[in-house]
Amino acid sequence: MNKWMKMLSPLVQPAAAVLVGLLVGAVAIVIAGGEVLETYKEMWNGAFGGFYFLTNTLSRATPIILVGLGAAFAFRAGFFNLGAPGQMIFGALAASLVGLYMPGPGWLVSIAALLAGVIAGGLWSVMAGYFDARFAVNLLISTLLLNYIADLLAGYLVAYPLKDTSGSAAMAQSAMLDKSVWLPKLFSGMPLHIGFVFAVVLAVIIYVLLKRSVIGYEVRMLGGNPLFALYGGINRGTMMLGAMFFSGGLAGLGGAVEILGSQYRYIDGALTTADYAWTGIMAALLARSHPLGTLAAALFLAALQTGGQGVERNTEVPLEVGAIIQAALILFISARFTYDFLKRRKGSKSHGTAV
Amino acid sequence: MLLQMENITKMYGGFSANRSIDFSLQPGEVHAIVGENGAGKTTLMRILYGMEQPTSGTIRVDGREVTFDSPLDAIKQGIGMVHQHFMLFPSFSIAENIVIGSEPGKALRFDRRQAAEIVKGLCEKYGMKVDPEASVGSSAPGVQQRVEILKVLYQGAEVIILDEPTGVLTPLEVQDLLAAIKMLSKQGKSFILISHKLNEVLDVADRITVLRDGAVTGSVAKGETDAYQLSRMMVGRELKELNRTPAVPGDKVLELSGIGIKGSRSKAVLDDISLSVHSGEIVGIAGISGNGQSELLQVISGLMQPDQGVVSLGGKDVTGLSTRQIREQGLAHIPEDRYVWGANREATVLETGLMGHQRRMQSRGFMKGRDIREMVSRWVSKFSIKTGSLATSTQYLSGGNLQKLIVARELEQGTPFLIAAEPTRGVDIGAMETIHGELLKRRNEGTGILLVSSELSEVLKLSDRILVMYEGKIAGELRAEEATEEKLGLLMAGGSIQ
Amino acid sequence: MEQLFDLALLNTALRVLTPILLAALGGALCARVGLFNVGLEGFMLLGAFSAIAGNYFFGNVLLAILFAILVVLVFSFMFAYLSINLKANVIVVGIAMNALAAGLTTFSLRALFDVKGAFYDKEMVGLPKWNIPVLEDIPVVGPILSGHTPLVYLAFLIAGVMWYYFYRTKSGFRFLASGENPLAASSLGLRVQRYQYGAVLASGVLCALAGAQLSLGQLTMFTEGMTDGRGFIALVATMLGQSGPLGVTASSLLFGFMEAISIRFQGLALPTHFTQMLPYIVTIAAMFFFKDKSFLKDAQKQGSSSR
Repeated sequence: MNKWMKMLSPLVQPAAAVLVGLLVGAVAIVIAGGEVLETYKEMWNGAFGGFYFLTNTLSRATPIILVGLGAAFAFRAGFFNLGAPGQMIFGALAASLVGLYMPGPGWLVSIAALLAGVIAGGLWSVMAGYFDARFAVNLLISTLLLNYIADLLAGYLVAYPLKDTSGSAAMAQSAMLDKSVWLPKLFSGMPLHIGFVFAVVLAVIIYVLLKRSVIGYEVRMLGGNPLFALYGGINRGTMMLGAMFFSGGLAGLGGAVEILGSQYRYIDGALTTADYAWTGIMAALLARSHPLGTLAAALFLAALQTGGQGVERNTEVPLEVGAIIQAALILFISARFTYDFLKRRKGSKSHGTAV
Repeated sequence: MLLQMENITKMYGGFSANRSIDFSLQPGEVHAIVGENGAGKTTLMRILYGMEQPTSGTIRVDGREVTFDSPLDAIKQGIGMVHQHFMLFPSFSIAENIVIGSEPGKALRFDRRQAAEIVKGLCEKYGMKVDPEASVGSSAPGVQQRVEILKVLYQGAEVIILDEPTGVLTPLEVQDLLAAIKMLSKQGKSFILISHKLNEVLDVADRITVLRDGAVTGSVAKGETDAYQLSRMMVGRELKELNRTPAVPGDKVLELSGIGIKGSRSKAVLDDISLSVHSGEIVGIAGISGNGQSELLQVISGLMQPDQGVVSLGGKDVTGLSTRQIREQGLAHIPEDRYVWGANREATVLETGLMGHQRRMQSRGFMKGRDIREMVSRWVSKFSIKTGSLATSTQYLSGGNLQKLIVARELEQGTPFLIAAEPTRGVDIGAMETIHGELLKRRNEGTGILLVSSELSEVLKLSDRILVMYEGKIAGELRAEEATEEKLGLLMAGGSIQ
Repeated sequence: MEQLFDLALLNTALRVLTPILLAALGGALCARVGLFNVGLEGFMLLGAFSAIAGNYFFGNVLLAILFAILVVLVFSFMFAYLSINLKANVIVVGIAMNALAAGLTTFSLRALFDVKGAFYDKEMVGLPKWNIPVLEDIPVVGPILSGHTPLVYLAFLIAGVMWYYFYRTKSGFRFLASGENPLAASSLGLRVQRYQYGAVLASGVLCALAGAQLSLGQLTMFTEGMTDGRGFIALVATMLGQSGPLGVTASSLLFGFMEAISIRFQGLALPTHFTQMLPYIVTIAAMFFFKDKSFLKDAQKQGSSSR
């Protein structure tokens, strides 16, 4: 009995958070003049109501999971990398460029494009890490500001040098990738592509890496108390560059997978308006940077978004109701009720030098 | 009868920090409370000062029952407290630090000139000298202590609680403080002195109350007792004698030559430090904390780079190497602050214990889980570390148990050289005896140990040679046989012995 | 190049630096009591939206600003409660606030006005422009300093008041003390939490004003995400200015000037992408001159995790 309680207790807070999120969403729905139960039914249907919708949700979750894993990894090491939006853009851009211009068989170009995405996202991210490690430029803010620069730079590239001139469209976008380099779909006629499998496998790998490997141990200790880590022989600078590359690389992979698996070209603003990157960061925060938790949270948040689309299609309520539920969730989770309660009670028991 | 605490009990969950404590204080009296770390002294004073509320019991001032919901209530009743860690604002001036809480000035305006005048007046009235305009952050600990006492007097305190007031003072400053206490008590102020330094207590206190495990074990008047009896009442048993054999020093394991670190102002943090540690000896560094000891240790362990000088470890120049490389070259390090440097509060006991061993306990990049668990459980039983399990969060270990875990972790590195910085700060006597015993055992087995402690008695007890640090320099060196508290005290205060 | 730098440029600079200055002052208040307020961006966005909504519903600029202040106060109260009482990680709360603000404004744009992207109504009257008598006739100075919205003047006034508060009043002295050493302050019986609440709520008011200047100061319209990272730039201004009112004003002047130049460049043949990038690049570059060593200090203080 006690054992069961122990296993279930970590789930209590997320469950309560979801409940609160849905309550807040209900208020928003009422304000927008919608019917709460009906809206939530539409939301459910939009996310999971049928095989097509389910695969659509999983497909949307794919880049979110990858970005979320990257963010979670950096957070675990104690680095507030909020540059996922920019890192994802660079990954997407690099993947489109390689996909468009690299000669060779389609499968090879595909793989090269994915790698290019990882490297481009990683390098853009490691730049901020280098600024912090070498020049003490606050990482949190530099990564935030670099997002705007990345978006504008990519916007410029597809508006001028790389602009698709074949069609009549006046949109700022690159040319369409050749079909041979598209990522294979998991089910014919459904949006879900193999990128989802990558994301799930990577989540498991990162989980094991963090829990069992020496590097994972060092990452966690560094995130928990950097001075303890320094004292124990862990080099913060090196770890920072490594963690930032890995984190940005995953965001870049998220962008690359989205291009090669869903959009097939770089469209200015398409990644930012869909908010994949921020949703990924939210997923990591919701899961307190646990890799498998991030996977689950990313799926949930993706379902909120595809569900929101369903709501918008069939009711008067706008799809941003999903975004409101999401933010309410984070606020609730961030409060750490139970955790702090425990800490306060036990903490006061320790005497000695603790100030 | 000025102040009475009756039947005070304070529970934290199932743990009782204070159990039915009775305590009283007369006007003009100096009443000392002594006891081990964790005996409940600080909790009792926090209750009296309104920082904690008792679970049960009453406090009376001049016979009236009072309740203190915050320090403000206590201050209003004329109770002031000087905390062990000074409660000062380093970037503000001394005058600002003294008047804060009831600043002079019309309406909303804070009149700083008047504040300085007030402080001058206080200095004259109580015969304590400070410069009102000076910044507190750059004042010596002794001055900061005076600022604290003046602040409490300015607040109108009749009862002054001093919590371990001499920890950061040089022996000379301690004399000044004790003289000030005697003089103020003649003027009718009463003092509660919390201390574990029995000679100071016996010097100044009129009455002494001993606490153990949260309860009073005795209350005696001055002159009815001695240090031996008091320490027995504190610990509840006879103290173990340390078995010391003469040191047999071998090769040099650590050598520093000409280490210097520039400070932010003209004063150097470390100034041309040269010293060596041989295998099989304990070299103690005595000194008031803040005279460069922390920086010296950080230089040796690679956490800080010196501006000049060479560090060699085991005959190899390790200056400028990373902490990992230096550890691999043969250094283990019991850090001076276990929570800042020595542990990750949120990690498990196992993970905190693994630090520094992780590269050794791996196979192909993955940790050898079973071996690691066996290793740490061995330490837990050998050092009788009290923990729920290895998966318990480090923050739930008591200070003494965490310290034992850290000591075990560092001793098990099996290096020829060990830094032991404040190895027993804030631990109970049982843990202290264990740790001292282990350090001596290591030294007998041939490890060279550099011991840094602000506790003179500890340095004297363990060291074979003693160096004294003062303002970033080595002020003198003494062999264990010739060292006495008086000589060390002089050197610590910047004096010299001929 | 010469016509680039004229008096109108400085006039523009004053107008565009106002939101940054207001938010940065709010950030400085929070920073002084140990709260790193990443949520400035979100507060400002909420302020911009609610100012427009208030303007539309009440048809009165003053009421619109009051409404904006009220709305942002509610959210800054949430921020304060979560980070002060519930001890939530202040950065996480800030990020969540930004997300909440983005979602809420977009949602309300649809729910209230049934539009996507931007809302504009020609019935709405923006903030008045004050032509200061005497001042406007002085050559050089007049065209720069005169003809701004009241909020521009208010921003500088607030910076001055804040300086007076910090360095001349008892309450300001205690405020700074609570931030410098909260433990010591509470041992004296100062209500540290009260000062923290005050700082967060005041930063909410300042961000509401910043948002109102954005949405009502020039074009009287709201567009999604119209703050465009100004809250983050304001954070940098706070850091550069070492959280002192004068320093913050100086660094806000720098960033406002950069934004004005970026606007001015848009008239040239350059692609607007690059001119728009300018403020962000300058902001990052500015951080190279302000070394942020706080990570070690913070870590030493609490051995904290940033998760």
